[in-house]
Amino acid sequence: MGKIVFAAAMSHVLDPEYYERACGVTGRQKVEAAMREIAAMGTRLAATTADALVVVADDHLNAFSFTCVPAICVRIGRTVPRMSQDHAEAFDRVLEHMPTIYPLHEALAGAVLEQGVAAGFDLALSWEAPVDHAFLSPVNTLHGTRPIPPLVPIWVNCFVAPQPTARRCFAFGQHLARVVAASPWRVGIIATGGLSHFPELSLARVGETDTVFDRRLIHWIERGEHEPLLDLTGDELHKSGSHEFLNWMVLLGAVTPARALVRYFGELPRINLAAVEWSLG
Amino acid sequence: MSRYAVNSLLYQLKKDPAFRARFVADPAAAIAEADLTDAERAAFVARDMRRINELGGYLHLVMSIPGLAAHAQPRRTR
Repeated sequence: MGKIVFAAAMSHVLDPEYYERACGVTGRQKVEAAMREIAAMGTRLAATTADALVVVADDHLNAFSFTCVPAICVRIGRTVPRMSQDHAEAFDRVLEHMPTIYPLHEALAGAVLEQGVAAGFDLALSWEAPVDHAFLSPVNTLHGTRPIPPLVPIWVNCFVAPQPTARRCFAFGQHLARVVAASPWRVGIIATGGLSHFPELSLARVGETDTVFDRRLIHWIERGEHEPLLDLTGDELHKSGSHEFLNWMVLLGAVTPARALVRYFGELPRINLAAVEWSLG
Repeated sequence: MSRYAVNSLLYQLKKDPAFRARFVADPAAAIAEADLTDAERAAFVARDMRRINELGGYLHLVMSIPGLAAHAQPRRTR
């Protein structure tokens, strides 16, 4: 019988140079502090000898463009490539030093997809989509020089309205837990992104965060009180800049009612950085 | 607002280096065939990413197009 052996959520631009450019020395110091905690979480993940790592993250209009924007998409296949971008700017530059190809847990990804559709989740699938910093910055920070286990990349549409609801994301996470429980595998799961940044996706508001909103989220996840989070609306997430909390909602569904342990929370003008781990018992 | 046309153009600018080069050389000519409003066309010709964002251009695109990306300054927390 399978088991979720590790669960964590974290910000996903984990790059001191990026934050020094954006927020000065304080930005560098805070992201380095977050990265130290994430690396320590990676040591605990490695100790579990997980067979696979499910990564729930979002696309930044890199993988899917406007041909199709799936609400939730499961990457299948045997490997997944890093996104390529010529003359990368901003958060895309974070990828440049990272390995270009990653193993994928084909059997688990297939089970999540096939059993999900059978259970009523109209999931999209992809054999070809590459993954961007939302997946690879956390994965590489967690693992450092250790081998990276086979991944199961799952995209949630956090940015292109209309997004899936918080409740639906949570339900999908519960589906993930059922698939793992019925499998033979020991599985880690991470959700990435956030916390508050880029409210209303407005360039004029880059540099604002909503710390009050983030502290409410943390209050609930620390206590394992997930019911109030199910009613989060797309409008609330958009106005607060917590769009990517939808990824976290998937993870919460997978581990509910486990309580979160906040390893790091750091406020910056550009974003509230976070690194959180769940106590799975 | 032709949201699709604006974002399709932004995506093309990010992912197609040849198109990006044509745009840099002559923005008006490069987007001549695009289905844009006058305001959108003017914003692209001016390479005004803030205005393009206000007109519906996705933030992550206007912040990451090589050589044309908007670099916003930090403001404040609340």
